[in-house]
Amino acid sequence: MSAPARRILLVKTALDGHWRGLSVVARALRDAGFHVIMGGMITGPEIVRAAIDEDVDLVGLNVGGHAAVVERIIAELRAARPELPIFAGGVLPPSTCRRLAELGVETYPPGSSLEQIVEAAQRLTGVEAGKA
Amino acid sequence: MDSHFKAPPAYTTRSGIPVKASYGPDDVPAEHRAIMGILPGQAPYHRGCFAQGYRTKSWRIFQLSGFGKPEDENERIKFLLKNGETGFIMEHDRNTADHLYNVDHPDVVARREDVGLTGAVMQSVRDTHICLDGIPIESTYGHAGGGVVQHGPFALAAYWTVARRRGLDLSQLPGTGQSDFFLTYLGCVTKQQVPTAAGLRLNADIIEFCGEHLPKWVPVSIAAYNGGDTGLNAYQELGALIANAIEYLDEIKRRGRMDVKAAASRCGGVNFRTTLDIFEDASKLRAARKMWHRLLTERYGVTDERALRMRIHVVTSGSMMTYQQPFNNIVRGTLMALTAVLGGVQSMGVSGYDEALSVPSEHAHQMSLRIQQVLQHETNLCAVADPLGGSYYVESLTAELEKRAWEFVELIQQQGGFLASLDSGWMHARARDNQSADFKAEAEGTKVVVGVTHYRDDASPFLVDGFPGVNDAYDVAKERLDAVRRERHETGAAHALKELEASCRDPQKNIMPFMMNALDADVTLGEIGDLYRQVWGDWQTPELV
Repeated sequence: MSAPARRILLVKTALDGHWRGLSVVARALRDAGFHVIMGGMITGPEIVRAAIDEDVDLVGLNVGGHAAVVERIIAELRAARPELPIFAGGVLPPSTCRRLAELGVETYPPGSSLEQIVEAAQRLTGVEAGKA
Repeated sequence: MDSHFKAPPAYTTRSGIPVKASYGPDDVPAEHRAIMGILPGQAPYHRGCFAQGYRTKSWRIFQLSGFGKPEDENERIKFLLKNGETGFIMEHDRNTADHLYNVDHPDVVARREDVGLTGAVMQSVRDTHICLDGIPIESTYGHAGGGVVQHGPFALAAYWTVARRRGLDLSQLPGTGQSDFFLTYLGCVTKQQVPTAAGLRLNADIIEFCGEHLPKWVPVSIAAYNGGDTGLNAYQELGALIANAIEYLDEIKRRGRMDVKAAASRCGGVNFRTTLDIFEDASKLRAARKMWHRLLTERYGVTDERALRMRIHVVTSGSMMTYQQPFNNIVRGTLMALTAVLGGVQSMGVSGYDEALSVPSEHAHQMSLRIQQVLQHETNLCAVADPLGGSYYVESLTAELEKRAWEFVELIQQQGGFLASLDSGWMHARARDNQSADFKAEAEGTKVVVGVTHYRDDASPFLVDGFPGVNDAYDVAKERLDAVRRERHETGAAHALKELEASCRDPQKNIMPFMMNALDADVTLGEIGDLYRQVWGDWQTPELV
C-alpha cells in the first residue's frame, strides 16, 4: 500500500491578489501527487494555525511584499514547528533570496522552472522523485 | 535552425491560431477583403480612429507611478512629467486602497512593512492633496487611480475634491478613472471586495455622475490587459472586453437615467496589453476597434462618430518581463511598444525593466519614457497611419481574431454574461487553461526566453535588485490617520457618512455626490470600506486554483 500523499500549505504573505504564479505552482505540485492546501492571504499566526491544523509537511510562501513580513512569518512558524520545512516563490529580489537563504528557506523567483519547484518539494518532504 | 533549438510542434500565434509560412490574397476572407481598402479615420475604424494618425496627435505617454507616502508619489509624478510624460497615473497602496482598510486594520498591521510598496497610502482627501501638490491638473490628463472597483468612487471623489478646492471647473477637468472588473475580480483578486452586482452599481453611478458633471472625464476604463496577463489569450481578451462593455451599457439602459448612446461614448476608453507576438497583438487592436463599432451600432443604435471610435490605452505586458538579466527587458518593452504603435493606440505605458522585482525605480521609469520618445521622434513611425494595412497576414489575422472573439462573447453570454462568468469562476478557468502553456513549452525546449532558458549568465555583473521604496510609509500614514481623527469636525463627518450609507442602500440614488461630501468632511478610506461591507457584504470568491 502506498504512503499517503505529502501535504503542502501554500499561502500568500501579502495583501496582493495576483494569483497566476501561485496557480501554476499549485497545479504542478498536485500533478506531482502532493496534497495542496490553499491558505490564501492569511497572517503569520493564521499560517501557523493552518500548518498545525492541516498537519502539513511543507509550507510554501508566495511572496509579494517586503522581506521583513516574510521573515516574521518564518520566525512564527519556526517557533511553533521548528522542524517544518519552508520554501518561497514570487516577487523575490536577489537581496531577499540571500536573506531567506540565511534563514534556511529555499527561494524560487520568477524564471524558476516547475520541475525545479516540484523537485524541491519532493526533497524537502523526503519523498523520492515521482512519489509524493 | 541551430540544432541547439527545437522547432515548435506547429507554428501558431501566441493564442494558438495556426500560421502559414507566407500569406496571399486568398488567405483574407472575402467579407474582410471588402473593407481592406477603407482608410484610417473611416468606419469601422479597424485601420485607426483618425485619418491623420499620429501626425496631428501622438499617443499619450502614460505610466503607472507611485509608492510610499503621498509626497514620494508626488515627487515621482513630477519627475516623469519633467521627463516628458504627457499624463500621469496615481497608484494607491494595495493593502489599504484595494481593500478599503485604514492602516490600523489588523490585516494591514500584520504586514506593515508592505505598506507603500506598490503605491502611496491615501486614506483621506488630505493625502490626495499632498500627492497632487504643484501638479497642474487643470491642464494635465490625470488618472486618479482606483483600479479596483470598490476603490473607484473614493479615488475619483478625492481627486475631484482637490480640483474643486483649487477652484477648478469640474466640467473642464481632463482625466480618467478605472474601476476595472478584470483587475478586481479576475487578475488581482483582493481578500475582500464588494460583490460584482454592487460593483456594477458603483460603476454605473460613476458613469452617470460624469455624464452630468465631468464631460471631459473617462468615468471607467475596461482593462482587458488584466485578463490577458492572468491567462486569457488575444481573442479571449477581446471578447471578454466586449462582454464587459455589454454589461455596463445594458445596466445603464436598464436604469434609464442616462441616454445609453451618451454612456457608450464615455465607455470607449479601454485598455489592452501587447505581448511579444507583434503581428497578433497589432491585429488584435485593429480588430478591437472594428468590434466596438459593430457592438455600438448593432446593439445600441449609436450613430455618433465620436462614440464609435474606440480609444485604446496599451500597457506592455508585465508578465513578459523577465527576472533574469533585466536590462533585456528594455528591448522587450521597445518591441511591445512598437506593436502598440503599429496597432494605432492613443495612449501607452511601458512596463519597467525591473517589473519582475518591484515597482519601477526612477531609472526604469525614465527608460519607459525614453523608449516611447525614441519611437515617436527617431523612427518615422508616426508619419503614416496603419502601416500594416493591406498586409495579407495582418488582415487575415485581424479577421480571424475578430471571428474567434465574437465566439467568445457568445460563450460568455451563455454563462449569463460577464459578471456571471466571474461569479461562477468560469472566466478564471478559461485563464487557468492557458497559464501553464509557457512553462510547458519551456520545459519541452520549444520556447526560448533569452536569459532564462538560454544564454544564461549566472555570474552577471549587471544585477538589479529592484526599487526598495521608503521605510516610513506605514508610520507616517498612521500619524496622519490619527491627525484626521483628532482634527476633523466629528459631527460633520458622521453626518456625511450616514448620508453616504443611505445613498448606498437606495438604488435610486447616485452615491457620488455623497462620496464627495464625505471626503470633503474628512471621512476616511477604512470607514467607507466598513460601510460597504455592512451594506453589501463580500464577494464570494470562486475557487481560483
